Amino acid sequence: MTETIVNNIADVIGWETIRTVVGLVGVLVVVVVNALVLTWAERKVSAHMQRRIGPKEVGPFGLLQPIADTVKLLAKELLTPQNVEKPLYYLAPVIVFIPVLVSFVVIPFDARLQVKDINVGVLVILAFSSLSVLSILLAGLGSNNKYSLIGSVRSIAQNIAYEIPLLLSLLSVVLMANSLSLRDIVEAQKGVWYVFSQPIAFLIFFIASVAETNRTPFDLPEAESELVAGFHTEYSGMRFALFFLAEYTNVFIVCAMTTTFFLGGYQGPILPGIIWFFAKTYLLVFVILWFRWTFPRVRFDQLLNFSWKLLIPLSFLNLIVTGGLLKL
Amino acid sequence: MVTGIIEDLKKTLTGIDVSEASYGQNGYHVAVEAQKGSLVNVAEFFNGRTFYLADLCCVDYVDYLELVYFFNHHKTLCRVKVTLKVEPEKPTAPTISHIYTISHWYEREIHEFFGVYFEGHPNLIYLFLHEGIDHYPLRKQPTPVPEDDKKLLNSFNPEGEEDTFFVNLGPQHPSTHGVLRVVLKMDGEYILGAEPVLGYLHRMHEKMAENRSYVQFLPNPARIDYPGALLLNLAHVMTVEKLCGIEVPERAQYIRTITCELNRIASHLLWFGAFPADLGALTPFLYAFDDREQILDILEAITGSRLTYCYFRFGGLYNDIDDTFIEMTKRFIKRMRERFEVYDRLVTGNVIFVNRAKGTGILEQGEVHKYGCSGPVIRSTGIPFDIRKTEPYAAYDKTDFEIPTGTVGDNMDRYDVRMTEMEMSLRIIEQAIAKLPSGPFKAEKVPKKLKPPKGDIYHAVESSRGEAGVYIVSDESDTPYRMRWRVPSYSNLMTFPFLARGTLIADAIATLGSYDIVVPEIDR
Amino acid sequence: MAMTNPVSIIKGAISLIIGLGVTIKAFFQPVVTCQYPREVIAISPRFRGHTKLVGDDENPDRTRCIVCGMCERSCPSGAIHKVEGEKREGEKKKVATSYILDFSTCSQCGICVEVCPTDALAFSADYNIVGYSREDCRFDLVKEYEKRKTT
Repeated sequence: MTETIVNNIADVIGWETIRTVVGLVGVLVVVVVNALVLTWAERKVSAHMQRRIGPKEVGPFGLLQPIADTVKLLAKELLTPQNVEKPLYYLAPVIVFIPVLVSFVVIPFDARLQVKDINVGVLVILAFSSLSVLSILLAGLGSNNKYSLIGSVRSIAQNIAYEIPLLLSLLSVVLMANSLSLRDIVEAQKGVWYVFSQPIAFLIFFIASVAETNRTPFDLPEAESELVAGFHTEYSGMRFALFFLAEYTNVFIVCAMTTTFFLGGYQGPILPGIIWFFAKTYLLVFVILWFRWTFPRVRFDQLLNFSWKLLIPLSFLNLIVTGGLLKL
Repeated sequence: MVTGIIEDLKKTLTGIDVSEASYGQNGYHVAVEAQKGSLVNVAEFFNGRTFYLADLCCVDYVDYLELVYFFNHHKTLCRVKVTLKVEPEKPTAPTISHIYTISHWYEREIHEFFGVYFEGHPNLIYLFLHEGIDHYPLRKQPTPVPEDDKKLLNSFNPEGEEDTFFVNLGPQHPSTHGVLRVVLKMDGEYILGAEPVLGYLHRMHEKMAENRSYVQFLPNPARIDYPGALLLNLAHVMTVEKLCGIEVPERAQYIRTITCELNRIASHLLWFGAFPADLGALTPFLYAFDDREQILDILEAITGSRLTYCYFRFGGLYNDIDDTFIEMTKRFIKRMRERFEVYDRLVTGNVIFVNRAKGTGILEQGEVHKYGCSGPVIRSTGIPFDIRKTEPYAAYDKTDFEIPTGTVGDNMDRYDVRMTEMEMSLRIIEQAIAKLPSGPFKAEKVPKKLKPPKGDIYHAVESSRGEAGVYIVSDESDTPYRMRWRVPSYSNLMTFPFLARGTLIADAIATLGSYDIVVPEIDR
Repeated sequence: MAMTNPVSIIKGAISLIIGLGVTIKAFFQPVVTCQYPREVIAISPRFRGHTKLVGDDENPDRTRCIVCGMCERSCPSGAIHKVEGEKREGEKKKVATSYILDFSTCSQCGICVEVCPTDALAFSADYNIVGYSREDCRFDLVKEYEKRKTT
C-alpha cells in the first residue's frame, strides 16, 4: 500500500527530485549538528590547550552547551543599529548560509551517499564556497561601521588572493584523476591517496583553505584585536549566530574537500566509508582548531605576499610538473 | 658631570640662578631658577646635551605658582631641577613643547589643573578633564575658571579630507588595555595620524594626596599602577623615608628587593600574555596567567592581597617573610626557568610572531630624550638606562645583574628586553635570597604621625614600565603640600603618535601592545 | 625577500611546528585551573579579608577594643564609623558596643590593624561576601564578634 503511494508520488515528481529534497534536509541536519559539535569542540580544544576544562556544566562534558548557547542566541533581541543600510544588513546573514548548503550537495560522504554527483562537482564546490565572501562584503558595507568595512575589504582581497592557489592546486589533482566529478576523484585514489603523490598541492590547498575560511593565522576579516569583531561587529542574536554557523560549516566543507581530494575521501579498510570520511574530516578540523590556538595572526600585506609571491608560483610550478609527468 | 653642567650653565646662559643641591636630601644635583625670558634657553641647553625631561609639574605657593622642570641624563646621572615662578593671576609661561615633545602633554595637564597659559603651545586644551571644570582643581585658593575658557576636549574632529576617515580606537577596544582612546585618521589600512585621548580613568590621586596624611596615602599607589603595585608602593614609601630621614633595616631592604622583583615578573607576565594576544595568539595569555598566579600566590602568602598590595611601610614592611615564602619563591624560580623555554618555543621563535614584531614600531635612539621615555621602551633603543643601576635603592647595588638592551628599538627589541628582564629578575631574587640577612624588618623609631621637615624631594624607582618618580613638597604638616607622580607609561605613550604615523593599523596595535601601557597609571 | 627564500621558509615552517608541539603537549596535560564553586583553594594565613575584632584573652565576653578611635581617624577611606562603647562594672577600660566597617570602601591596607594599641583588630579569612545593596557591606564588627563567639 505505502509502496504504491510512494511510487505514485515518485512518478509524478520524479525520483531525482525526491532524492534531492531528502538530501537537502539531510544536509541541513548535518550542517546544524556539525556547527553545534564544532562550537563545543572549539571551546573544549582551546580550553585544554590552555590547560583549562572548558564547558562542563551543561550536560556530560558540557556537550549540551552549544544547545544552551543557541537557545540564548535565539531568545536575544535582534538589534538593528541606527543608520545601517537595511537591505544589505538584513540580507548578509541569509546569503552567508546559501552557498555552504549547496557545497554540501556534491560531497560524497560514502560510496553511495551523495546528494548529487555532478560531473563538474569541483567547479560547483569552488564556485559556491567562494560566494561566501559576498555576504561578508554585504555585512561590511551594510553595517555602517568602519571596523566592519575594513574587515570586509580585507576579506575580499584575501579571498581573491587565496582562491587562485586553491584552484591551481586542485587542478593538478583533477589532472591526475582525469575527472571533475568528486566521486571519480575519490575512486581514483583507491591505490595511493593524493596526499602522497601530490604533497605540495595538498599543503597549498590546505593553507589556502584555512585562509578561505578566515581562520587564524589568516583571520584578518574578524581580527578581534584590531577590528573588534570585523565584519560582524554590528550583528547580534540570531544574525550573529548565522555567521557563526556559516563559519563552522565552511570549516567543515574545506576539510571535507581536503579529505575528498587528498585523503581518499570515504576510502579506508574495515570500517564503513562514512566513518572514515568523518574521521578524516574531523581530524583536519582539529588541525585547524589547533592552528587557531597556537598561532598569532599575520599582517595584511604579509598575507597577500604569502599568496602572490609564494603559493601561486609554487602551485603553478606544481601544476606544470604534474602535467609534464602525466604527459610523459 | 654635575660640576661641569653648573659651570656650563653659568657660562652660557644669563638670567638664571644656578646652585648645587644636595642629592641625598633633595634627590637632584642642581637647582636652577629661571626667568620667563631664559626658560626656553635653559630647555635648549639641556636638549643640546640630550638631557630628557623627566617631569614637569607645578606647585601652588599661593603668592606665586612654581613650574618645576626635572631634567636628567640617560647615560650619566645628573638630575637638574629648573624652577620658574609665575604670577597667580592669569599665569602665563613660555612653552617648551617645540623642544621637548613630551611637554605637550605636561603643559596641557598644568593648564587644566592650575590654569597656567603656555604661550606658543599649539594645542592648549584639556588633557584629562573632558567635561570641563569650574575651578582649577590643584590651586590652593579657589580659583574659578574664566567663563570663556571652560572648553571641552575637542580633539575628535571628524572632518576628514577625501579618501580619509577617522576611527575611534577605544575607549572600548580589545587592544587598548583598558580605557585608552586613540583617534586615528586613516587612509584605508594606513594611519595618517594618531592622537591619544586620556582621562577616562582619571581619579586625581595627586589631589587625594593633599588631603591625607603620608600614612593614609599608602593604599593609593597600588591603584595608580595595578600590575606593578609594590613597585609604586616602594616609590612612595622610599620618598617619604628619604624626606624624613628614616633608616631602613638591611633585612627589609632585601625583602623589598625580592618582592618588588616578583611583582615585576608578574607585571611583565601580564604584558607577555597581552602582547601576543594583540597579535592574535590567545594561548600565551593563559600560559602567562598560569605562571603569574604562582607569583600572586607567593605574594598573597606574605602581603595578604593578590593585586593591590599595601605591604611596605615607612621604615620597613608590614610583616616579615617566613621560610615557606622562601621555599615557594625558590620553587617558582626553578619552574619559571623551564617555562621560559616553553615561551620561546611558542612565541619567540614563531615565524609569524617574528615577522609581525621585527622592524615595526621603530623608535630612534636620537629621539628618545625628547619624549622622556624610560624603562624597557628606552632600553630597546640601546640606551642602558635603568634606575636600579644609576641610582641604586633597596638592595639592588648588592646584587649582580645586567641591563638588557636592544639595538633597533622595534617591537621585537622591546619584547626581547622584557623577556631578558624577567630572567634578570629571577637572578636578582636568587641572589637576594641567598644574601638575606637576619634582623628586624622594621625600623624602630618611626613616629606614628610623620611630620617631615620643610623642603622638597624627588625620588624615582624603576617600575616595570620605567621611571616612576614621586615629587613631594612638605610644609611640615602631616599631609604633603604637593605630591606629584611622574609615571612612565605617560611619556612612553607620547611616542605612539609618532610611531603609528604611516603604519598599518595592525602594526600600530602591535606597537601599542609592546609598550605595556597601564591606563590608570597614565590618567592617575 | 625573506618570503621567497627556501631556507627561511623551511625554518619558519619548523618554528610553526615547534609551536604546535607546545600546544598539543598542553592539550594532554592535566588542567591547572580550579573549578571554583566545586573546589575551594585553602586561604593563606595572612589573607586580608575584612577586619574583625579579636576577643579579650581574659574575658571572652568582650573584645580587646577599648574604643580609642585610632582606627577611625587613621582610615584612609573613612570606612570605619561609629566606634562607640560603654564603661562596664569591673572593667578598667571601655567596652565596644558598636563598630561599623563599611566594607565597600575598605581597601584592606592594614593601617587600622597597625595603629590599634591593643591589637584588637585582625584580618578575617572571609572572601565570598556578597550583597544586594551597599548596606549589606556595612558590618557591625561587635555583632559579628558576638556571633563568632557563640558558634
